[in-house]
Amino acid sequence: MALRHHHFLPEGVVFRANAPGSPVRSIGGPMKRLFSSIRDGNGFDIVLVAFPLGFLFLMAGLPLLYNILMSFQEVDMFSLGTFLRPFVGFKNYQELFAQPETWPILGNTAIFVIGSIAGQFLIGFGLALFFWVNFPGASWLRGLFLVSWVMPGLVVGAIWNWILSGDFGVLNFMLKETGIISGNIFWRSDPNYSLYAVIIANVWLGTAFNMILLSVGLASIPGDLYEAAELDGANAWQRFWTITLPMMRSTIGAIVSLGLIFTLQQFDLFAAITSGGPNNSSNVTQYWAWDLSFRQYDFAKGATISVIMIVFVMFASVVYVRSTRHEVRG
Amino acid sequence: MTKQIELSGVNKYYGAFHALKNIELSIEKGRFVALVGPSGCGKSTLLRSLAGLESISTGDLKIAGELMNNVPPRKRDIAMVFQSYALYPHMTVEQNLTYSLRIRGVPKAQARKAAEEVAATTGLSQLLGRYPRELSGGQRQRVAMSRAIIRDPKAFLFDEPLSNLDAALRVHMRKEIRTLHDRLGATSVYVTHDQIEAMTMADHVVVMKDGVIEQQGAPLELYDRPANRFVAGFIGSPAMNFVPAMVGEDGRSLAVDVGEKQTIVLDRQLQPGRKVTAGLRPEHLHFVEPGQGVFRLPVGIVESTGSATYITTSTAAEVTIVETSRRPVRTGDIIDVSIRPADVHVFDDQTGLRI
Repeated sequence: MALRHHHFLPEGVVFRANAPGSPVRSIGGPMKRLFSSIRDGNGFDIVLVAFPLGFLFLMAGLPLLYNILMSFQEVDMFSLGTFLRPFVGFKNYQELFAQPETWPILGNTAIFVIGSIAGQFLIGFGLALFFWVNFPGASWLRGLFLVSWVMPGLVVGAIWNWILSGDFGVLNFMLKETGIISGNIFWRSDPNYSLYAVIIANVWLGTAFNMILLSVGLASIPGDLYEAAELDGANAWQRFWTITLPMMRSTIGAIVSLGLIFTLQQFDLFAAITSGGPNNSSNVTQYWAWDLSFRQYDFAKGATISVIMIVFVMFASVVYVRSTRHEVRG
Repeated sequence: MTKQIELSGVNKYYGAFHALKNIELSIEKGRFVALVGPSGCGKSTLLRSLAGLESISTGDLKIAGELMNNVPPRKRDIAMVFQSYALYPHMTVEQNLTYSLRIRGVPKAQARKAAEEVAATTGLSQLLGRYPRELSGGQRQRVAMSRAIIRDPKAFLFDEPLSNLDAALRVHMRKEIRTLHDRLGATSVYVTHDQIEAMTMADHVVVMKDGVIEQQGAPLELYDRPANRFVAGFIGSPAMNFVPAMVGEDGRSLAVDVGEKQTIVLDRQLQPGRKVTAGLRPEHLHFVEPGQGVFRLPVGIVESTGSATYITTSTAAEVTIVETSRRPVRTGDIIDVSIRPADVHVFDDQTGLRI
């Protein structure tokens, strides 16, 4: 709005000054017009937009393009410093999918993404509904829940390492005391559980964020809709299905696609808890890409995996943008 | 006549705040009742208590003879039209109308037929496929009413339903709601802060203030015999003039303190020397020939609407006069004004009650 104002008023002035027959026109050259445009007119808007766009292109666009380019090249330690390397077509992709660990890791990634999003969303929605009841101290307690979201992933990973520890971890203790398991589960070193150990930690990390966004969505539903539905004969369960959920559609769409983006970015927890092991049983694409590039120095394969991930993230972004655009508000 | 809604000894507290004080109200089937009063008088709280959206603290609330104190709103079989309309934004007009039927498990085809029937009577037939955001204010208002009508409820509750419409549409919808009420033979309770709405639409007007029913009765009864100063000032537009006065020694005249002391004749006997407040409706004060009036008043402001002239005097206690004759009047004129003894309202100085 402020920009509009700035744009509007002085532009009128410029227009009058440049009107045919006005003396200003004969004195000022194209340079002067350019400067006055930057000061007062369209030029100012263009400059404002150009800065963030330039920044985005330099810091995000170029690395992205370079990454795609690298996935079609042969890269080794000696050609790292050069830009134009031997072009190999889809060789990197073919080799990658010929490796025996590729499909299991892609499967792990799918389990990790679906498990994390489902856990974060369901628990987050439950908490959001719980705090929506607005008992005394609800908003204070809700704020406290954000602590988990503020914490760095590595710290969360370290804490969960203790909780998940096989011999003296508190999780095993609780499961045993409640009779759910009889022997210790070695969460981090048992290939059957290692991936779920990271999922549990990631659910804990992301639940608060889900809860806050869903709380905002809930709060934006007008209260009189519920009163009208109540008078129309709907019980609490029917009101949830016919009013709350449909009114939350755009919020839910946004949070699921954001969740997809965030879980595909989750790296710290893998580094802190399992390092992708044992034997790739908890390895996922984002961790594998780093491992290939910076521990095995196979930069081309690392880039290839990243490109595959980009496709998925782009898909999520489209869903996100669409669902926030189609907000239903009376 | 059967009693459709009965309230006896109803009180409502919000913590220490006493929102409804000992409400006694019974509404016969088929009646149109208006709850009217200034904001914060408890009229909306009373309406929401009928709907069950608020619980009452003490007293009895009966709908169609059944005690409803602890019955949840969805089991009261009452429809409400909200001030904001509260249409479901994610549903089409048809889905809005059939919501209550679908909740009750009425078959789809039957619900659809009911929606079409109601829409035909309220002029919404062409709009059944639209979403609320695609409708104008008046159309949304109609959807809100149709949503209530389709249920054939025990009573209709209206919570200031016309306050979001422009003046012309409001007058039109006033008639439409009343016509609909008569055609359906419904029982309606209508909350408004606009006394003209209450007077023109209702059979029975309930005037409230600070959680108390000040007076209830037929519209003209309230206008002709207001029970106290508050009701007298609230009903009627422009508002009644209140002037300090004292009963004369014969008990049949009032010394009225407007400008200079002037005397008006009464048609009833009052206690001589008693200090009172005289209430004079602007439309009951008439111009007369010089020397024949009971008042001689200096003219302050003259506002002409064409059909009537509003004159405000320049006396200490301002007096408003509505005159329909086109007699020319100018600021600074001295006019002679008369009033019929039967039109003089007298209120107690302390209690404000009608004498």
